Amino acid sequence: MTTRIRPGVAAFVGAVYLFLHVPVAVLIAFSFNASRFSAAWSGFTLDWYRHLFERDDLLRATARSLLVGVSATAIATVIGTLLALALARHRIRGRRAVEALLYAPVVTPEVVAGVSLLMLFASVGIPLGLGTIVLAHATFCLPFVVIVVLARLSGMDRSLEEAAMILGADEIATFRRVTLPQLAPGVLAAALLAFTLSIDDFVITSFVAGPGSSTLPMLVYSMVRRNVEPTVNAISAIIVVATTILIVAAERLTHASPDGRE
Amino acid sequence: MSATERPQHWSRRELLRWLGLAALGGCAGRRRPIDDHPDRTLPPLERELAIYNWSDYVAPDTIPNFEREFGVRVTYDVFESNEEMLAKLQAGARGYDLVVAGGNFIAPLVALGLVARPSWRYVPNLINLSPRFRGLPFDPGNDFTVPYQWAITGIAWRRDLLPSPPIGWALFHDSSLRGKLTQLDDMRDAIGAWLRYRRRSINSTDPAFLAEARADAIWAKANLKAYISAPVKAQLVTGDVWAAQLWNGDATQARAEQPAIEFTIPAEGSSMWLDNLVLTSRAPHPRAAHEFMNYILRPDVGAAISAATGYGTPNDAALSLLTDPVRYPSPLELERLEWAADLGRATALWDQIWTEIKAA
Amino acid sequence: MSRRGWSLAGPGVGWLVVFFVAPLALIAAFSVMPRGPYGGVEPGLTLEAYQRFLVPIYLTTLGRTVVLSLACTALCLLLGFPVAYAISRSGRWKTLLLVLVVLPLWSSFLVRTFAMIFLLRDTGLINEWLLAAGIIERPLTLLYTPGAVLAGLVYGFLPFMILPIYASLEKLDLALLEAAEALGARPVARFRRVVLPLALPGIAAGSLLVFVPALGSFLTPDLLGGAKQLMIGNLIQNQFATARNWPFGSAASLVMLTLVLAAVVAWLRLRDRAEELA
Repeated sequence: MTTRIRPGVAAFVGAVYLFLHVPVAVLIAFSFNASRFSAAWSGFTLDWYRHLFERDDLLRATARSLLVGVSATAIATVIGTLLALALARHRIRGRRAVEALLYAPVVTPEVVAGVSLLMLFASVGIPLGLGTIVLAHATFCLPFVVIVVLARLSGMDRSLEEAAMILGADEIATFRRVTLPQLAPGVLAAALLAFTLSIDDFVITSFVAGPGSSTLPMLVYSMVRRNVEPTVNAISAIIVVATTILIVAAERLTHASPDGRE
Repeated sequence: MSATERPQHWSRRELLRWLGLAALGGCAGRRRPIDDHPDRTLPPLERELAIYNWSDYVAPDTIPNFEREFGVRVTYDVFESNEEMLAKLQAGARGYDLVVAGGNFIAPLVALGLVARPSWRYVPNLINLSPRFRGLPFDPGNDFTVPYQWAITGIAWRRDLLPSPPIGWALFHDSSLRGKLTQLDDMRDAIGAWLRYRRRSINSTDPAFLAEARADAIWAKANLKAYISAPVKAQLVTGDVWAAQLWNGDATQARAEQPAIEFTIPAEGSSMWLDNLVLTSRAPHPRAAHEFMNYILRPDVGAAISAATGYGTPNDAALSLLTDPVRYPSPLELERLEWAADLGRATALWDQIWTEIKAA
Repeated sequence: MSRRGWSLAGPGVGWLVVFFVAPLALIAAFSVMPRGPYGGVEPGLTLEAYQRFLVPIYLTTLGRTVVLSLACTALCLLLGFPVAYAISRSGRWKTLLLVLVVLPLWSSFLVRTFAMIFLLRDTGLINEWLLAAGIIERPLTLLYTPGAVLAGLVYGFLPFMILPIYASLEKLDLALLEAAEALGARPVARFRRVVLPLALPGIAAGSLLVFVPALGSFLTPDLLGGAKQLMIGNLIQNQFATARNWPFGSAASLVMLTLVLAAVVAWLRLRDRAEELA
């Protein structure tokens, strides 16, 4: 139901929305700016996007980010889904402790998570590289996967499963043919979420990265620090558009109806 | 679940937990001895090489030419300060074969077991080096290092923006230039400037001297736009920054884009640096590393690097190829310059002072 | 079924123990060990890392971190509450307005921080426009100031405030407000006694979701503060990435974790009290 909102409040709210979106919009707009140094518009060009594809290091960093993202997402999604199933469907002794353990990484500052992992790898003697990045990413993605899958599980209608079991299907068959298909959109949404988190991570990655394992955010960070204009605008624009698509897809999947499959 | 099953379950998990912790403790202490006998034979040429160097410290075609000629794929990572490099290596970045380190960092690297002695018979081009850069205090036996480039710290400034040419480090105490000045985000240089300001050695370990340097640095910090190293070039070019503490080569690189940039060695004195290629102790590709060291020592390669980076070359053969070489300082200038040396146990004190300056 | 439960939960719990709990235990241990001569740690037991923290310079850094985080939370509340309220009243525009709030949340934080730099620096857009419009003669120093860091923090975390407040306001039954009006309550009183109590859980959640990440932020003060507005996050990063003082960095990490824990406990208390009142 819509009620009157005073025009003053509406204007204020509009201003806040502008505050939220204008900076990035401007950034993207200026990725097409022909001038290299000034913030004054001097003509439209796609040069900076062309430059992106000439930069070997950018392409390799993107490939690494994708590789890390897929690997970390796979680990986090599998382990996280199992954990969510355990929490939702089974009695577990020490449930409270498990929940605390699960939500603790969410509130832990990234810097602390990053340095503590670095210290772990340094002490045990694991060489830093893409592998350590994957391990770190899987760790901070895990709680988010569990949260999303749990939400999906709690919204699911169990009567279908009960019906299947009454009709004679055993647990595994029920899981495979009734539970999993219903769960799939939630798992997929969790995976997309984990992937987005992994692709964007800078702080934790910068601590545990090793030789030749610069990911895209690390490269963008050094480009931002060195004012590599406006090529960095172009790569930023691509990142924003790509993550938007991923998130919209995840949102759609989260709201897909439970019996939409099969 | 029966009562007998539960205790077993717990004790198994307990055991695993203690085993894990024991392994953690055990692994931390172990150090394999480094195989770096000078006469050892190296394996055949590998297909890959990993190098860790300062940013903007190589010519655009140095690496690609090496890759093409030797068929080796090079992973090239960069850092912005010696401390950053040491921190990464110390924390477990094992995969680098070659690292470029300032002379003052050779002692810590050796002490931490991070570097190995190269097998010099694979590096015949060593004869191209100037005798002036051999047998230096940080490596008297020339066991570990291949000199790479030398540098001077000074002030890079815009002659069209500064009201008058800077004379010395006192420039950074000028509050009329607030927000237009930067110092290097580098512990040795940022603090070293304020030690020289009071005519003290950049290698001072006296806590009283360092306390005064800290006070001077914090006073200057109010006028600084930021602490920033090589990336300040872009801001000098655009005019966001009018004067920056910077190294001579980076100043030359910036001048190529903005002719109004000058470089001055402060009257109170400053630091000199000799950067060296060193072989890491766990180098996965030792043969390729040696070939690269030999390659860098070629006259044409050394000359190309010096011309592109604006830094001084220690390579006499390369020097003869350069039409406009970076001049080695005159004896008069040398009186104001000091080689940076290892701080030894005082490193902790310096780190502390630097952290306090940054946090102030 | 407890056995089955644990075999499903085992990998997840095990992973977190190895890659989350053990690392934290490690830095807790490092925080009471002496520093090695060139960095790292040596065997031994000492409290010098924590003692070093108790000097004005680092306490100021701690104070600055807390103050900036509180200021950020307050500003986010000021800006975010009206937005949440407006969204809950917007009928068919609700989904669009919500999406516009969620979108920045998931965009790359690095890119968004760079967008701020692009606007605020001396040769950035704001100065460019002000100069072109003749309002100023020399560029304003906007970047590398505490204001820039605060702006960056608010910009980064505002959606975290809006969403929980919206979630609680959505449950507001307009009939209650109408009844209050009919009974003669003025707008301010209506707000204070009908809307606010309902929004309180959302405000508490939003405050937590903004305050905690602000406390731990690194990128914002790093890129927008010019290595001058040091927050605890930068201090910690600095100790491990450059200064190589593992004990001191670990001690600072534990101090930061304590602050975060205190904030979470305060929020839990507040939430329990709010539930009692409701």
